[in-house]
Amino acid sequence: MKKILVPVKRVIDYAQKIRVDPSKGAEGVQLKNVKMSMNPFCEIAVEEAIQLKEKTKAEVVAISVGPKQCTETIRTALAMGADRGIHVETKPDVRGDYINLQPWAIASLLKGIVEREDGVDLILLGKQSIDSDCGQTGPLLAGLLNAPQATFAAKIEAGDDGSFTVERETDAGTETIKLNSSVKPAVITCDLRLNTPRYPTMPNIMKAKKKKVETISLEDMVKELGLDLDEVLTPKNEVVEVYEPPPRKEGELVGSIDELLGKLKEKGLVA
Amino acid sequence: MIRLGRLCNYSNRRILPLRPLSSILRYASNHQSRKLRGPTTQDVSYFRSILSRPDRSVLDGSSSSTASQDVTDEIAKYNVDWTKKYRGSSDLVLRPQTTSEVSSILQYCHENYIGITPQGGNTGLCGGATPYNTEIILSMEDMDRIYCIDEYSGILTCDAGCILQNLHSYAEENGFLFPLDIGSKGSCQIGGNVSTNAGGHHFFRFGSLHGTVVGMEVVLANGRVLRSSASVRKDNTGYDLKQLFIGAEGTLGIVTKVAIACPALPTSKNVVLLVCNSYDDVLSVLQTAKEELGEILSAIELIDWNTMQFVQRFGNGFGSSLISELLTPKSISSDPAKKQSPLYILVESQGCDQVSDSAKMDSFLTSLYESSAIENGVLAHDSKQMEEIWAIRESCNPSVASAGFVHKFDVSIPIEMYIEVSEEVEKHLQDENLHDLSVCTWGHVADGNAHINIVSSGQFHKHDDTAEKIENIVYSSVMKRKGSISAEHGIGQSKRKYLKQIKDDGVLELMSQIKMTFDPHLILNPGKYIP
Repeated sequence: MKKILVPVKRVIDYAQKIRVDPSKGAEGVQLKNVKMSMNPFCEIAVEEAIQLKEKTKAEVVAISVGPKQCTETIRTALAMGADRGIHVETKPDVRGDYINLQPWAIASLLKGIVEREDGVDLILLGKQSIDSDCGQTGPLLAGLLNAPQATFAAKIEAGDDGSFTVERETDAGTETIKLNSSVKPAVITCDLRLNTPRYPTMPNIMKAKKKKVETISLEDMVKELGLDLDEVLTPKNEVVEVYEPPPRKEGELVGSIDELLGKLKEKGLVA
Repeated sequence: MIRLGRLCNYSNRRILPLRPLSSILRYASNHQSRKLRGPTTQDVSYFRSILSRPDRSVLDGSSSSTASQDVTDEIAKYNVDWTKKYRGSSDLVLRPQTTSEVSSILQYCHENYIGITPQGGNTGLCGGATPYNTEIILSMEDMDRIYCIDEYSGILTCDAGCILQNLHSYAEENGFLFPLDIGSKGSCQIGGNVSTNAGGHHFFRFGSLHGTVVGMEVVLANGRVLRSSASVRKDNTGYDLKQLFIGAEGTLGIVTKVAIACPALPTSKNVVLLVCNSYDDVLSVLQTAKEELGEILSAIELIDWNTMQFVQRFGNGFGSSLISELLTPKSISSDPAKKQSPLYILVESQGCDQVSDSAKMDSFLTSLYESSAIENGVLAHDSKQMEEIWAIRESCNPSVASAGFVHKFDVSIPIEMYIEVSEEVEKHLQDENLHDLSVCTWGHVADGNAHINIVSSGQFHKHDDTAEKIENIVYSSVMKRKGSISAEHGIGQSKRKYLKQIKDDGVLELMSQIKMTFDPHLILNPGKYIP
């Protein structure tokens, strides 16, 4: 295998409490002064790419589309073991959480980058991002590239002949799919149980500083790929409303089993 | 059950000949006009009559009541401490709902000379919350309301029975950080934290409770309720009495409400776990952290090799892949003449600008790596990895507890000599032919606070003479370096007997006088703290 591409997304850290400012309408989710990290599913994709690299000596390229802080996200991928990065830099007010950039735009950009890179064998993506939860970028990219795809991978094996055997967890049980080697590249999206992402260790963090990250503005990339900037920045779906879920009501303390039974009967939960 | 041979309020009094005032006062804590007693059925009836929810608030396990097995089992939990070393014989647990109920209870106990042991989350490590005998256990667990947090000053006001984790969550929801953080935060209560002057992970950054507590409500032994201002940070009007209650371990009054000033919630956090080959390297890390991380440095914790091995075996798989990666450092030399043990350092930074904080962290790590002060390390890049690294540190205590009987020590040592104490203790233990003991050291190294835990792997019983020998070895090693034998865990029952050796007579006298002023009938937490 020669080359693996891993798109990574910078999102609000999973442990952060999301704040919604109702006066901002659709753009209510606050991004200022909020901790951002690599999307957990993208981390899993990077880890899988590194593991495959360790077996096949392929080159791993991390790609991110977003504001200038995305270089941090790419550096994390490099510290985990990726070889180089491509950062498509957007203007600071362009939001990646479904407000401005949506899966169609990202998939179109990634398609162009795949062709620009040449010789890509595999694109590994997270199955979804934890901000928009669309899960569409992988499948859209596969469609645009006419690539064989497997989603929600729980196990990936690279065959010597260039094929990929993927296990997926479904409600009916584990499904095994073989993506044959005759069509390149293949697209696989990664699920939670695929692996446990490694910690970047000191020697790798130091090495990562010397690895190359190509930064190119969204406008320049769009021009280079022959896409239409308006098309890319105009979302296909419009966010109508954003609101916080209603707060959970506090429970009631009761003093005895009889009291509990009484309350349950009162609420019609028990006959 | 009467404990014989202990010098305490319950032992038979010697009739003292007339002595100078100073001697009389020194003996004040173990001499009084009337002995304390345990509660009787009449007392129980009285309590039932004055409390608003007697079925919840009165847990009566005496044989004269129709106590069910459930009640007896429940009371048993209150009677044992977390380390399982201390067992009380209380038959009565009271769980008041309000400050005025606490006041009524104490007033009655004061008038009738009934001993009271206040208890919070029962997570203390010195037996301070376990009855010495048959005292009434006063549990603050039902007084757990969080009142408010001021959006400008960050002053959070709450009941003493609030669980620390809940205070953290509440403060966070409002954009603040609760300044006290310790491993037992899932169970410990703020009243207990304040009464023991708990230190914790962020002591280095936010300081002691003596500084962050801005107001308090305390019930004195005679039932009188004392309130100090709680809505402003600075108040220099009169003796700052609340300071006496902080760290007094319930011997001067019962804390019922607390007001604590919380700093703004930092939005950017970084956690690293580093591996050093020697303590000199650790000192480099400390100095470099102060220089490169500066004001964003929030915690530095040390964990030694012995401890890490227990964490890996008994730590419930916390960060196991991480530990495996770091547990094969090249520093473990196979050459017995060159005994090296890796030392692990957790460094945390908290600030408000992710970009500049990451840059500072990067420059910090680069300095250390290039100067070879660290052999390896990992940098957490999301919350999950940060929690995993902290989980390793927080599982040190439970891991060694699962491994065998632990002789626990919590000491302060001048930072430069921190590891010398453990090394000296190890040597002395071998000299005394005390084998099969692992000396595990971890702690808040930037505060000079070491938790030295000596573990007899696989054995779970205490051998009294071994325990005493070990205590002598550890404490003399600490004292000769002018350290403290209890940095943050307090005195409780376990360190009472040492106070006479380490404190000036004058200090002990004044402590007794203060105790007599606040609690003349000596009902509050008898058998603890004051020797």
